[in-house]
Amino acid sequence: MKRRNLLGMFAAAGAMGANRRRLVDCGCAPQVQRSKAMPPGSDVFKDVGSNLRITNMRVFGVTLDERIAQADRPYVFVKIETNQGAVGWGEATLEGKASAAMACVMDLKDYLIGSDPMQVEHLWQLMYIGSFYRGGPVLGSAISGIDQALWDIRGKVMNLPVYEMLGGPVDPRGVRGYYHAAAWSLSEARELRDQTRQAGVTALKFQLPDLLEWVETGAKIKRAVRHMEMLREGLGPDLDFAVDFHARPSPTVAAIILREIEPLHLLFAEEICPPENVRAMARAVKFSTTPIATGERLIASYGYAELIDLGVVDILQPDIAHVGGVTALWKVSAAAEASGIRMAPHACEGPIGGIASLHVDAAGPNFLAQEICGFVDAGEKGKVWEDLMGFPAMRMVDGRYPLPTRPGLGIDISEAAIKRYPFQGTRPFPPAFHEDGSVASL
Amino acid sequence: MKRRLAIPPLAFAPPQSAGHPLEIAQFHAWRLKEPVSSRRYTVVELQSRSGETGYGEGGPVPTAEIVEARAAIQGRRATESEFVRARLAGLPAMEAAVGNAMLDLLSKSRKVPIYQFLGGPTRFKARLLARLEGTDEASATAPLERAKRQGFRAFTIPALQRDAMIPLQEYVDRVRARVAKMQSMGGAAAEWVLDGAAAMTPGDAATVAKALEKVHLIWFDEPTGVLTTDGLAKITDESVMPIGLGRKIHDIPAFQNLLRQASVNVLRPGLGLNSLTKIKRIAALAETHYVAVAPYHEGGPIGAMAGVHLAAALANSYAVDVPVPAADRDAAMRAEITSGNKETAENGFAVLMNRPGLGFEVNRKALDTYSEERI
Repeated sequence: MKRRNLLGMFAAAGAMGANRRRLVDCGCAPQVQRSKAMPPGSDVFKDVGSNLRITNMRVFGVTLDERIAQADRPYVFVKIETNQGAVGWGEATLEGKASAAMACVMDLKDYLIGSDPMQVEHLWQLMYIGSFYRGGPVLGSAISGIDQALWDIRGKVMNLPVYEMLGGPVDPRGVRGYYHAAAWSLSEARELRDQTRQAGVTALKFQLPDLLEWVETGAKIKRAVRHMEMLREGLGPDLDFAVDFHARPSPTVAAIILREIEPLHLLFAEEICPPENVRAMARAVKFSTTPIATGERLIASYGYAELIDLGVVDILQPDIAHVGGVTALWKVSAAAEASGIRMAPHACEGPIGGIASLHVDAAGPNFLAQEICGFVDAGEKGKVWEDLMGFPAMRMVDGRYPLPTRPGLGIDISEAAIKRYPFQGTRPFPPAFHEDGSVASL
Repeated sequence: MKRRLAIPPLAFAPPQSAGHPLEIAQFHAWRLKEPVSSRRYTVVELQSRSGETGYGEGGPVPTAEIVEARAAIQGRRATESEFVRARLAGLPAMEAAVGNAMLDLLSKSRKVPIYQFLGGPTRFKARLLARLEGTDEASATAPLERAKRQGFRAFTIPALQRDAMIPLQEYVDRVRARVAKMQSMGGAAAEWVLDGAAAMTPGDAATVAKALEKVHLIWFDEPTGVLTTDGLAKITDESVMPIGLGRKIHDIPAFQNLLRQASVNVLRPGLGLNSLTKIKRIAALAETHYVAVAPYHEGGPIGAMAGVHLAAALANSYAVDVPVPAADRDAAMRAEITSGNKETAENGFAVLMNRPGLGFEVNRKALDTYSEERI
């Protein structure tokens, strides 16, 4: 829809009488009188806002070679341009649904064009509350990309890094991070320990060795437990490691495994079961003292309210590319802090989201550790990120990600580099199946 | 549910701001007292290395707290609000004053209003609630008329204190009569909040709340000081009257508990005990419970106007308290401090000032004039 159409629609809604509306609206359309036409960019905020206006919003799909990055997650970058030259970048990458996220970003364009980019909270509310349907990863990711770009602009205009606008940094040395890792034997684990120490890294994250069914055999449970015991033995007592259950077990199976691995003192066990039913998760959690983390698939601060209120988890893991950007991640962090819950934000997409997350991390007193979808050896993906951003993004120094020092998110994306990784379309998240052909949780 | 990870006390790095333009270089404070009402509050002035000043107000504090706060923030940058929130957690009035002064300074240095720094305006005007001085209809008449002249449309009604000798039904009848009288004095356009001043028992508050349901007050404020789950349930289980709570609370988990037990419909963090950035955190909690935030204020005009900036930036704000004095001398003092009376409304709403920081000049001479002590 063109912006002028939207303006016309708002104006018409304000002008039409109730009888006229009945003729054109369906029964579920709002029957309230929109007393004043207040479309984005209208002049109701002209006396209280800035002179900046959003003039354009573009979305870029960025596909990396399958040998470098998982094919299911082409990066979705959002660029917002303004009438005064300030631009902002954000990331709306959504695993397996890149085209949907890109389309949703553009669906929201009419709310943005002509608006004041400094009204970041108002625009967030407009996109989430004002567009009627709330939540869901597609909308959450689209809002995330836009919101990050708006914060980037806000920081640039105010000449401050975003974390300073949020009251940080709590620790100017940076934020603690962890890399992904895999080791399938004791010797591999020991080799990984040495490599990790040499890199100055203090924490790693692993996965379970198998898919798991609703209830499980003793053999499979023992395999999972022995895998983690092997990791602890190989990594030694001083290196922190977490294990991502990836919502594979049911609460029933998770409870058994969690009971067994208590002596290993994990940094945390992640997504021990699927995320939809908090009370079901609580059943599994109560049997263990291992810190429990979850939240990467939840959207907006509303999505975390029950987890926080019921005190089910110890660590929340919103993803800044899905939860609703800087605005929503900060709100989740604020709510978590009040309940003594720590933050270890998820980030398994591209570099903009990772860096945006660092800003919120740096301003959060309850921050624990930041994920990045990378290994101790950055490999080819590290080179692509450097190509896109002009520096080796998201690499730890002494176990911490250094904080950007430039205003806004502290990054600039090369559009020329983006063209070197043209969008190849959406690839679905690769499904997994049990041995009987039924779909497995992955 | 057991907690597995404790959040340790934060160990902030030492100040690293030497010579930075936003380093806080000077700190002054005034302990103020209004001449007639004796309402007290504290104003802090911060000056950055680059010469920018910022003002913030908190509740009344002893000198020792001011001295401690001054020492704590030495060498810090005006951006370090998380440090201030943590370091001054035990001195809530100073956390409010210092935190808000930093915001004013910072916003001035960026040449934007405070509400812009807090996330930008979510509304172009902010609803005000006139807190009327007075303990009965007679003593509330003068401030009510003053508030109406100043454009207010929403007011507080002080609830009666119950004498032990008054039967409950008679007490309820008297409260109902007072509300009716005040409504008649306020006119048809007026809306009302009943202020319980934390003085009722939960049982009495429940009876009053139920009796006044059909009067449709905006809310029943601080009906009781008994903030236990059972005490509050007695009120909320009996009535659909919206309940406002929180004026004396300054630790965020306590607000979280009120929300968790569904005891509150309007959160009322005090502007004298919580900085704007801290209330923004509290508002984030309330948002997920679909609960409104209306900052409580029983302090001076700098605090009230800071509250307007906060209300402008929060998605779930409803109104901001503005104390309306009965005495002309008190009103004059408030106006002098803000270089002209800023505590006015247009048809019940504050018009947002689109000037840097708080949006007005703080009159240092007036601060000196009305101070009990300058530090």
